[in-house]
Amino acid sequence: MSEIAAVPPRPRESVAAKILRALTKTPVQILLIAVAFLWLVPTIGLFLTSILPGTRFGLQGWWTIFTHPHLATLENYRQVFSNSSITSSLATTAEITVAGTVLPIVIGALAAYAFAWLEFPGRDWFFLLVVGLLVVPLQMGLIPVFRLYNSLHLYDTVIGIALYHTAFGLPLAVFLLRNFFVGIPRDILESARIDGASELRIFLKLILPLGLPAIASLAIFQFLWVWNDFLVALTFGRTTQPITVAIFTQLRQFGSNIDIIAPASFISLLVPLAVFFAFQRYFVQGLLAGSVK
Amino acid sequence: MSEGANNTAEPSSATAPPVLRGPGRLRRSAVALGFLAPAIVSLGVWVVYPTIATIIRSFYNAAGDRFVGIDNYKALFTTSVLTTAIKNNAIWVAVVPAVVTSIGLVLAVLTERVSWRVVFRTVVFMPMAISLFSAGVIWRVMDQQDPNVGAINAGVNVVRSAFVSGGPLTQAQSSTALATGSISHGFTLKTPLHPGTVARLGLTAIPPREIPKRAKQAVLPKPVKGEIAGVVWRDFSPRGGKPGRVDPGELGIPGATVILHNSAGASVATQTTAGNGDFAFSSVKPGTYRVEVGPQTFTVPYTGVAWLGSSLITGAIIVAYIWIWTGFAMVVIAAGLSAISREVLEAARTDGATEWQVFRRVTIPMLGPVLAVVFVTMVIYVLKVFDIVLSIAPGSVQDSANVIALAMWRTAFGGVNDFGLGSAIATFLFVLVIPVLALNVRRFRREV
Amino acid sequence: MVLTGVGVVAVGLALIAAACGGGGKKATTTGAASVSGSISVEAVWSGAEQASFKAVLNGFMAKYPNVSVSYKSDGDQLPTVLATEVSGGNPPDLAVVPQPGLMKQFVQKGALKPIDFAKPTIQQHYAPVWIDLGTVSGKLYGIVFKGANKSTGWYNVQLSNAAGVTPPKAWTALLSGAKKLQASGTKAYSIGGADGWTLTDLFENIFLRQAGPADYDLLTQHNMKWTSAPVKKALSTMAQVFGDTSNIAGGTQGALLTDFPTSVTNVFGNPPKAAIVFEGDFVEGTITSSTKAKPATNFNEFAFPSVDGKGADYVMGGGDTVVMFRNSAAARALIDYLATPQAAEIWAKRGGFSSPNKDVKASVYPDPIQRRMALALATAPVFRFDMSDQAPAAFGATVGQGEWKILQDFLKNPKNVNGIAAQLEASATKAYGH
Repeated sequence: MSEIAAVPPRPRESVAAKILRALTKTPVQILLIAVAFLWLVPTIGLFLTSILPGTRFGLQGWWTIFTHPHLATLENYRQVFSNSSITSSLATTAEITVAGTVLPIVIGALAAYAFAWLEFPGRDWFFLLVVGLLVVPLQMGLIPVFRLYNSLHLYDTVIGIALYHTAFGLPLAVFLLRNFFVGIPRDILESARIDGASELRIFLKLILPLGLPAIASLAIFQFLWVWNDFLVALTFGRTTQPITVAIFTQLRQFGSNIDIIAPASFISLLVPLAVFFAFQRYFVQGLLAGSVK
Repeated sequence: MSEGANNTAEPSSATAPPVLRGPGRLRRSAVALGFLAPAIVSLGVWVVYPTIATIIRSFYNAAGDRFVGIDNYKALFTTSVLTTAIKNNAIWVAVVPAVVTSIGLVLAVLTERVSWRVVFRTVVFMPMAISLFSAGVIWRVMDQQDPNVGAINAGVNVVRSAFVSGGPLTQAQSSTALATGSISHGFTLKTPLHPGTVARLGLTAIPPREIPKRAKQAVLPKPVKGEIAGVVWRDFSPRGGKPGRVDPGELGIPGATVILHNSAGASVATQTTAGNGDFAFSSVKPGTYRVEVGPQTFTVPYTGVAWLGSSLITGAIIVAYIWIWTGFAMVVIAAGLSAISREVLEAARTDGATEWQVFRRVTIPMLGPVLAVVFVTMVIYVLKVFDIVLSIAPGSVQDSANVIALAMWRTAFGGVNDFGLGSAIATFLFVLVIPVLALNVRRFRREV
Repeated sequence: MVLTGVGVVAVGLALIAAACGGGGKKATTTGAASVSGSISVEAVWSGAEQASFKAVLNGFMAKYPNVSVSYKSDGDQLPTVLATEVSGGNPPDLAVVPQPGLMKQFVQKGALKPIDFAKPTIQQHYAPVWIDLGTVSGKLYGIVFKGANKSTGWYNVQLSNAAGVTPPKAWTALLSGAKKLQASGTKAYSIGGADGWTLTDLFENIFLRQAGPADYDLLTQHNMKWTSAPVKKALSTMAQVFGDTSNIAGGTQGALLTDFPTSVTNVFGNPPKAAIVFEGDFVEGTITSSTKAKPATNFNEFAFPSVDGKGADYVMGGGDTVVMFRNSAAARALIDYLATPQAAEIWAKRGGFSSPNKDVKASVYPDPIQRRMALALATAPVFRFDMSDQAPAAFGATVGQGEWKILQDFLKNPKNVNGIAAQLEASATKAYGH
């Protein structure tokens, strides 16, 4: 033990880092660069398509922009923005998305804790049932819920759309969070219980902070799924329109429409990307260390 | 499987059912109910109720007014459309979850200590953020067969053209029946020739823009003793003109390779045509000869691989899907990695384990629950894969690429509007998930 | 309501006034102002078409100042959204559906209200064949507002000039012209085979001319078999194009993967890959939005040629049908308005619109190409609606099955006329139920 005390504290590195130190650094870097490049090609392609005039698409690939750089234009973006319904739909999109992200995380975390650390009869089977609900496709609920919303006057409301997304986001939320919470050391919880903390207190003060990486990753995905959703908003809204539907109203019936889809994809990309960056910092290893005793 | 010094880290196994006796049992169940209540309401109303409604609906006919028992299910298994869909889904389930989870794991691990980790993860994550519909669109464009439009075939063409060479013309046909052949084998004039005669090698189906700029009006040379001469020209006139005759306005084809074959078929001489398409073989010994416009004059155009054709379409869509979803696997696994307690790893290292052993016997097992989430989620999502098949597969191959969820969509919401059969397909999908969950039950029970 | 003597006189005077007024305007200003309410309309139109339709609705609201109309575009999700709304009990007041088959399905569900009240206006402006289209079981349920002339072909002017080919008036001229185009160095046909409906349109154009309107009607109701001789003859005629594989852009395989918008840009983009594309008047919209081609100098249009010498001026076309889900004074007023030439002229002026209304003035169409197509549609001696749109959707309007899929198989193998005919017959029997 004294040896360990004598060794200067190691830099904060993760598990994999130690593995990699055994390997040479460079081949891995090269591999990652190659992978990153390959991964980027289609995205770059879409971006280049968005700055090419629509009349060129379908005849020449987007790589021709390198030989004809003068063709680049922001006209497509300008056309998308010039539509006023798009800018007003951003607020609606934000409302739907935030609600549709926060709600399933809160509700899912509560349920996940119950499945992970509370005891009650039939727990495991019940959990499997919830996970099994992952398979229900979004379309299947459209008609029954539509009928329901009519009688509840939830049709064409932000909260109606958000609640739909909440419900369909719950199976994954419960699944991921429960499997994450299960990895929290039991003795942390036991000692808190022995100290007399209520389950709710344990949940708020212990589980949530420790579960932040999983909550963050869940938030990212739920956010972008709701942000990019189209069918649910189209079905349950008439005047309530998020940006996906607003952009859709610009599509022509028989055109290739890529000159609208491409810039719209990139405009729409910015927000989920921002969320991604914002939540990156929760992926910091070692949150468990030091928070125990 | 957990091994080694993990007892403090992993919760002790509770494969036995939870404690149901003892003080506070009711209170504990009540507390649990409190935590579960919002989820129960939400799932019950929005997910379970439609599911049950769907299952019930599947026993009725298309209009919903007549009970038909299991007729819909019988139809399900007898139509060929659905058997293709089931087969395709089997391929998806066998390939995609394993690939996505593995690549996601590898990338999450490899980037843990790389300094530009955030950039890399953003790059891999971006396909999901673009929206599944747009991602499908971009892959459909990339998979286009025409190498001028589709990026993949353009890349293949670049590699290919390093090995292939040829002349300026990419298409041609003989203008008369007197010559036969193709651009890959050359065009041979069937008429036998003797020295002192003239050959006419007329070609059509040549786009004007492919004719070299130096081309001039084609001229039929005069016969010269001891020579076999001729002209290779574009034998097409918009306003009439006769095939096989050199008409005014018809250009010769310069730079074409002409090959002289003797009566045995062997090639004895080669010439290149002049600006007006003329060529001449001089000092030809007496005998019977044939002339040919050689294949070197042409370049067989590359038609490209039909990635979106019926044989490769499922593979093409799977590639696009992996490109999109690896980001999901990587981010979730990265979250799992970051939650691993360093102390457990320190303890393992102190016990003398090597890095690789630490990885294999400590990290991976501790990642077990998270890997299970990713894998099982992917299996289930792949069973109900729908949007991407819709956006990538052209209409003519959609039945080759068909998957169960798409078949359900078309039946229920497409023109057919048969909600009965559509509901049966959906119910079938629910049923398919049960084996998946059953396989993982043991894993779940072990995890607790 | 009891008509008093005064009331009778008042009504009589109003009728006389209306008759002297030259017909067309039925409601006096006070009548229009008394109609009020708020109604909703759904259709597939988005983008520029949405703007045009909204202009039409604005024209309606100007005439009926106390009515407000809201429009929602469902795009190609219209069948889904409408089905959901109908099943859920909350459909829009009006909808414009692209297929009469869809209208029939809603009638069978009891979701639509008859529009017989608008018959006087409609009969005044539409040829009887349009009224028959919207009639189910003796009641009128829909009227086509926006028509589409599908008996047209489009060609690249430069390529045709370079080949010395002029627009064909007869099928045989089409085939020989195609050979000439090939000899000049370009492929003749651009086929959007990925979208099965382009193939059904080609079949219907040929069949209407070759077999005649009587057989066309029989086949539409499936009272004639797809295995009968006239059908096989039409399929063989189609095979004269499909079988000319070296003359199709991309070859057979490529054509199967080419969707409709690409089939248009193949002909009018730069560099062009083919010289001719067959499809309806809506091609012009695709050309102007996706390519730089200009009318007359780069692109032009010709009427679908006669086949076996028959049917040069027959028109096969399509259209969007206005239907009513909820009856109210405002909804009735809107239906009536849409049947008038004034409503159609608002959109026709903006382009991209052919009206089946025969009283629309020819001068409102913005260019000669559109004028020719629209007039041919409204005044054709023989007009027939797109057969596949009238058929049950499982046969005539579904991706991956029915007519669309089977004709794609035919494109793949044009020699298999008998096999394809048999498949069509089997699929139709299943879908029609007889």
